[in-house]
Amino acid sequence: MPGSVKVVVRPEASASYVRAISTGLGITLKHMVKPKKQTQQYPDEKWDLSRRLRGTHRMATHEDGRAKCVGCGLCPTVCPVNCIKLIPAEDENGERYAAVYEIDEFRCIFCGFCQEVCPVEAIHLGVHYENAEYSRERWVYDLERLTEFEHPFTALWDPFDPASE
Amino acid sequence: MNETTSEAINLTIDGVEVTVPKGTTVLQAAERAGVVVPHYCYHPGIPSRPAQCRMCLVEIEGQPKLQPSCVLSATDGMSILTQSDTAKEARRSVIEFLLLNHPIDCPICDAAGQCMLQDYAFETHQLESRSHEAKLVLGRDRIADDILYFADRCILCTRCVRFMRDVAGDEALLVAQRGHKAYIDTFPGKDLENEFRGNIVDVCPVGALVHEDFLFKPRSWDMDSAPSVCPGCSNGCNIDIAVKENQIVRVKPRYNADVNGFWMCDHGRKHLVMANRGSRIDLPLIRRHGELEAVHWGEALEWLSTNLPEGGSGHAVVSAFDATESLAAVRALLGRIGIEGGGYRLSRGHEAELGGFPQLKLRAERAPNAAGAELFGFGETDGLPEVSDGDTLVVVGDRLADAPADYGEGAGFFLYIGSHLSDAARNATAILPATTFAEMEGTFVNHEGRVQRFHQALVPPGVARPTWMILRRLLGLGHGEVTMLEARDAFAVAASESGRLAGLNWDEVGLKGVNPGGTAAPVAK
Repeated sequence: MPGSVKVVVRPEASASYVRAISTGLGITLKHMVKPKKQTQQYPDEKWDLSRRLRGTHRMATHEDGRAKCVGCGLCPTVCPVNCIKLIPAEDENGERYAAVYEIDEFRCIFCGFCQEVCPVEAIHLGVHYENAEYSRERWVYDLERLTEFEHPFTALWDPFDPASE
Repeated sequence: MNETTSEAINLTIDGVEVTVPKGTTVLQAAERAGVVVPHYCYHPGIPSRPAQCRMCLVEIEGQPKLQPSCVLSATDGMSILTQSDTAKEARRSVIEFLLLNHPIDCPICDAAGQCMLQDYAFETHQLESRSHEAKLVLGRDRIADDILYFADRCILCTRCVRFMRDVAGDEALLVAQRGHKAYIDTFPGKDLENEFRGNIVDVCPVGALVHEDFLFKPRSWDMDSAPSVCPGCSNGCNIDIAVKENQIVRVKPRYNADVNGFWMCDHGRKHLVMANRGSRIDLPLIRRHGELEAVHWGEALEWLSTNLPEGGSGHAVVSAFDATESLAAVRALLGRIGIEGGGYRLSRGHEAELGGFPQLKLRAERAPNAAGAELFGFGETDGLPEVSDGDTLVVVGDRLADAPADYGEGAGFFLYIGSHLSDAARNATAILPATTFAEMEGTFVNHEGRVQRFHQALVPPGVARPTWMILRRLLGLGHGEVTMLEARDAFAVAASESGRLAGLNWDEVGLKGVNPGGTAAPVAK
């Protein structure tokens, strides 16, 4: 079947490049007069982080420096990637506590379930992301390291304030 | 309590029609109809029924007031409603009262996941308390050497008090104080030292009584469980072994009406939790050029089948802790190499009887399978046999822990099959790694001749194998290569080789065991 070609004739005003070029040059001129920086000078300048950012774990402590953890075993139970190791024991007051508490940050997927499930608000994720280690073993954070951190705790999502306002 | 007779009655529970013998309680009838009636103070193994927890209240159609189903006898034509609005409301209120002073410390409570209060509180959906008062704190108490009592968690069902009084016959516990200040305590000046006290932890429906061996250890959902038979004495109590990370963490009695009912003794509990200590053998070792050398199974068995001397004088020592299948295989091996007789050593201890359930007794013979050893011609011996130079010595299962370090040094050939490596065992010509009873399947024969199966609870270390598997393989080498991998087959062979077990079927033995000779056929003293 012989084909036919439809020839569209655009009006001069929309076919011309002049308008598009002048718009582009206008933006360039604007940046010449009032420049807007896109590049951030990291690490000299840091990002403003959301208080809901889920980063490095941190263990809350009592005033005397003891970890708040009661060794209930809910976080290793809920952890979807099995990165928490907990061995509970009895302390000198006969209370349950975590004799061994280790989080493998390398394996962690930062889902935040551990923070959500903790009955005593001991384990938290933190607003912190800059981690570096020389060996993989060092990525297993023990209780001592988790309690030493000082970065802010991650804020949990609030169903009554879904946009965190 | 309620004497049942042969007369049958019909009743309806939640629309399910059920026929029960006259004298059955409504709660038992509901169980038969498949209807769960929540309850705390009623326990099928404890005869007294105070009906004080008020949890099992049910509505009887046509009657205005609710009645406790645990003491209510079923009558003909009765129509019971357990899910009516009044019954549900009554249960909800009972739970609310129980939770008034309950600390709700489920996350650190050892009963979490196996707690009836937790289950029903969740079911009635009472996640928030309506009370504005501060909760009463009563603290905790060491009620026995190894049992802790958390008074805050206690719901005062008095199962423990009534177990001690009605079943153990040792009235050691009481309810002290009254009303909201009431708690469980031992009688003044009396200690809870009964041999069966561990059962009060099992009957406790909440986490108020906790055994010290289990305190703050694994969560209930972290454990695997395997049905087994207690090896503590010749009574053969049915148990469940709870395991976490290949360690036995707890032992609980498993119901068997003919052997142990709902109970077991503390000797059995302790015995098993301590069972896995000591250095284990995990590789076959054979002595070549004077040195023990680790080899793989194929090589070890080939070497044994060519080097094991046949004929000549010899001695055999077996263990009453070994399974019947293993003992049968040892007898077959001894027959092959021409050793007659053979014996096992048996330690004895004090006896203790549970008054309310006389079949259950901590027996003097502290081994589970002496009767099984007798079936295959092994007799009890006082000590180890004297080994003269050049004799063949076969030791299977006996740990030789108390034998002198040079025992068996002069033997011409010393075959040791066992789980633990003692000093005397190091003198052996060949050492084969065997599993303990918890790491294999098999059967024990108890004091009255009852054959009971146990299941595998643990993974054996290294390449350790059940003794019957090792020996049947060894016997099969060069004789048609019989490889036996299942305890079912080993049991069939063992049964056919012993007069008394002949015709017994592995499936027939099942989880509850059978007594092929009837009740009156004690084989071993």
